Amino acid sequence: MKKTSKISLAAALGLAATSLAACGGGNGNDGANAGASSSAAPPASASASASASTKAKDPVTLTFLISNTEDTAPFTKIFDAYEKQTGNKVELQSLPGGDYDNLLMTRFSTGDLPDLFLMQPGTKQYVKLRADETLHEWSGESGVWDNVIDTIKQAQVQDGKIYGVPYGSTGMYGVFYNKDVFAKVGVQPPKNYQDLLDIAEKIKAAGITPFYEGVKDGWPAQVFYLSGWVTEVDPAIGPDGAEKLNANQLKLADIPQVKDLFVKQKELKDKGLLQKSVLAGTYDELQNEMGEGKVAMAFMLDGILSQMEKKFGKDFVQNSLGYFPFPSDTDAGTAMITPPNQLMVPEKAKHRDAAIDLVKFMLQPDNVNSFYAEHPGIPIFKGATSTLYPAQEDVKKFIDEGKSQINIQNRLTASFVDFAKTLQNFFIDGDVDKALNEFSTNYQKDGKAKLLPGF
Amino acid sequence: MESRKYPLYFSFPALLVFLLFFIAPTFVGVYYSFTDWNIHAQTVHFIGLDNYRALFQEPRLKTALVNTLVFAAAVTVLQNVIGIALALVLNEKLKLRNVLRLIFFMPYVIAPVVIGYVFRAIYHPDHGIVNRALREFGLGALAQDWLNDPKWALFSIIMTDLWRVSGFAMVVYLAGLQFIPKDLLESASIDGASYWSRFRHIVFPLLAPSFTVNVLLSLIGSMKVFEMVMVLTEGGPGYTTEVFYTYIRSTFSMGQMGYSTAINLVLFVLVTAIGVPVLMAMKKREVDM
Repeated sequence: MKKTSKISLAAALGLAATSLAACGGGNGNDGANAGASSSAAPPASASASASASTKAKDPVTLTFLISNTEDTAPFTKIFDAYEKQTGNKVELQSLPGGDYDNLLMTRFSTGDLPDLFLMQPGTKQYVKLRADETLHEWSGESGVWDNVIDTIKQAQVQDGKIYGVPYGSTGMYGVFYNKDVFAKVGVQPPKNYQDLLDIAEKIKAAGITPFYEGVKDGWPAQVFYLSGWVTEVDPAIGPDGAEKLNANQLKLADIPQVKDLFVKQKELKDKGLLQKSVLAGTYDELQNEMGEGKVAMAFMLDGILSQMEKKFGKDFVQNSLGYFPFPSDTDAGTAMITPPNQLMVPEKAKHRDAAIDLVKFMLQPDNVNSFYAEHPGIPIFKGATSTLYPAQEDVKKFIDEGKSQINIQNRLTASFVDFAKTLQNFFIDGDVDKALNEFSTNYQKDGKAKLLPGF
Repeated sequence: MESRKYPLYFSFPALLVFLLFFIAPTFVGVYYSFTDWNIHAQTVHFIGLDNYRALFQEPRLKTALVNTLVFAAAVTVLQNVIGIALALVLNEKLKLRNVLRLIFFMPYVIAPVVIGYVFRAIYHPDHGIVNRALREFGLGALAQDWLNDPKWALFSIIMTDLWRVSGFAMVVYLAGLQFIPKDLLESASIDGASYWSRFRHIVFPLLAPSFTVNVLLSLIGSMKVFEMVMVLTEGGPGYTTEVFYTYIRSTFSMGQMGYSTAINLVLFVLVTAIGVPVLMAMKKREVDM
């Protein structure tokens, strides 16, 4: 009659790692900074960036960590090319997106270091990972920065140091819609929020589900708030609002516009504008229903583009998937974008030098283009070309007009922990104040758990 | 014949492994539950009872506690009722007896994670076979969103786990039934005892050792439930099916190692506090043959 306390904890955790359902609240996907122009910039000399990656005498196997919310195909293609050229293999380990940060931190604290890893965007990651002690510093490294668009490079700098090499493209959150359904019902993307509701009513009257929310999976329901944030909350709290939240000088619960987002999401449910079984909604089913034209719109991130391409083909994504931002009460709203992910190399990685070499290899123009060919997006490298999806062209227009803003999650060091759980409860009981307070308290709890100043 | 005793040192290798990988970590774990061990901090400090103080103010603990106890009670009772019933039926001379035994035992061999994913599909409110069958038979009014309606979620998890574990209880009871002397049952029959009274006065008391094993195993196992809840609902919707281990997983994944260990220790105490008296009570009623 012994209770295997420690052992079962270890077993439980091992299982946790395997059985976790995929996605974490939009911490995935790649993207570039505001003002990142696409393929227009002049190409820099390709040879400058190509570091000598010749065949190594003793081939090694590098470990590369990535969140399972990321598309791995473009990486495996580059890694194959790298192996051909150098003989070094790259083992790609895909970890659950929702716990990616903490699984990474755990590996750091136990000394089980990867050789390199892909991290979510932003210099706030430097704080989290204690970069000055743990990570390789890149600012003086040759063959890295030649082709990176300068604004993108600048966004990586903190106190003159750079611990992450940006890699990927601009990501976006907002409303993705089935253009065929819009054409059938005879509606256009909305001019303001009321317009969005009117459109939804028309679609409902035509017997089609206006919106789909993946409440069962949890994370998709957060997109409503994150894409709504840049449209509603940012203008209200101003440019230093995020700073105040970072220092815990402003409470989420005290921002009326945050509360308004809860009210608005409840309104969609109460008006019957969401799918029938709201609580059972999953990301996977959303893709099916939207692809089949049974659902018109979803608050989503651009990961859906490559998913839909897998399920319904390139033509569908090219012709039938559109994007518009979360509309404000007065205009079409602000597009929410995410900066590019970043490649990081632990200073004490077993194969540190080979990993640095691999990063340089990945930055070579051919490999950058191979990445965008597999995973179209607004490029962050000079001279890189990418065929954008129409939905990405749509968001580029907003970026070019200066109507875009970076995901609030990329600007805050503490996270919106258990937000998905809060929202599931909210979909059950519809209690705005309870949900708002829980959201606010959990943010503070995370700041405290991360030992951030001010919390 | 003299009874020879093996020397004690024969047990040392096993004892060493046990001490090193079980006893020692357990004690270290107890210590860490009194610290602020956190993956975001570089140092670990002793903080006394702070973790426990914070823990007992947390409403999620109460939810996890209630759900764990409901789950454990339901699974323990029903698993044994179903297990005994299955064992009695499949102890009779039936056609296909061995095939049926195999069929009922099979779910226990499948990984809970796999079962969980299969049942997610079975329980789907629109496309799942449960609701489709109900609608087919004109019982559409009984169709529920089994895993996502807070009223039904825990019930559905319990049913799934019962499907998985009842076959195991059956096998243990079947083994126990083989040890009941046939002549005892036959003489009772001749004396005119009904099936029920034979079960009540002969079979059930003599099954006591199997009963003890089964009850204890299912009690401990079900209080430590994790995979099934994780896969079916992740403790949701919201926190409605939160159990101890889903709660521990969530704090652990936030990097609060010390705090998570404290929750685990609470569960350890709880399992001991329930398990030991149950074991003692049941040992008492076991009959020597």
